[in-house]
Amino acid sequence: MSHDSRPTVFLLAQNRLLREVLSRILSKKNDLQVVGSCALSPDSFAQILSASPEILVIDSFSTTLANTELIREVQQSLPTIKLVMIGMERDERQFLETVRRGAMGYIVKDASALEVVAAVRTVAGGGAACSAELTAFLFRFAAGQNQLPNFHVRSRLGLTIREQQLVGFISRGLTNKEIAAELQLAEHTVRNHIHRMLRKLGATHRLALVDICRMEGATV
Amino acid sequence: MQKIRVLVANRPRLMRDLVLATISEQPDIEVLGELEDDSKIIEAVEETQPDFVIIALDRPNERPAICDNLLGHHPRVKVLALAAGQDNSVFFWSDIQSTPIESSEQGILNVIRGKTKPRFQHVM
Repeated sequence: MSHDSRPTVFLLAQNRLLREVLSRILSKKNDLQVVGSCALSPDSFAQILSASPEILVIDSFSTTLANTELIREVQQSLPTIKLVMIGMERDERQFLETVRRGAMGYIVKDASALEVVAAVRTVAGGGAACSAELTAFLFRFAAGQNQLPNFHVRSRLGLTIREQQLVGFISRGLTNKEIAAELQLAEHTVRNHIHRMLRKLGATHRLALVDICRMEGATV
Repeated sequence: MQKIRVLVANRPRLMRDLVLATISEQPDIEVLGELEDDSKIIEAVEETQPDFVIIALDRPNERPAICDNLLGHHPRVKVLALAAGQDNSVFFWSDIQSTPIESSEQGILNVIRGKTKPRFQHVM
């Protein structure tokens, strides 16, 4: 018999209906192989480990804080395992937390069963999957990351968040008036901020501020 | 043979899909429709005259408000409330009696086919 190379999937969910029907739907096209399923119990870890799936689908009911430990243990024992979470709601914080824990898929229960299956296929194929709404959130979050304060710059150069933001604008060649309009500040406020920064960093002109920040590793 | 007429009105979508996947291909069951909004259930029941209505059980051990309304106006209708989470929080009402059933394909099919009788009075 030839080696079965279909991606293997394990379902961890409290609801038996969910385990039964999802297993059936996932196996339908014969391109995925469901190697096991269980509810959360003291045996879950052993069951998952012995099935050694490539993909672990977890219903959010199985993932209260008490068993993030279980997920960590599973990840340690099966380092290449890919997690797909079925979340109860569109909670952006829970979503981010799940992504940080290494999930490659996040599906909310408002999704259809077919969307869940599509997400598992995407993850099996090396991709990541979440709803269009959460994708939009992820884009906004990633875009916002650059505007977040650079703590290194802050601690080394003593620049406030606002000042770091101004350096970004200066690097793009904006005038005080343009920066003021962009941030909805008075022009003299912008001028004062920049004067203070020049003094703080011992710079002689505004573009030197950008250079100094870049030397400190800021992405401005 | 008269088919058993079922209206599927539970939330969230994924759980509704799972129920539909369980019952829609059964030869003795007819799915009358799918509803995602509780507020339209009474109207839909009056229109389609189902034998069974499947609704969401939002809080375990709490009888959904829609249940009283439904059974009050349509005592013939049987109600199955399905939780999105735990295995055991599925309840089935006929008149004012209810009984917990297992949230599994067989559990749900048995109830719809009348193989499970309500046992308790007003457990919730």
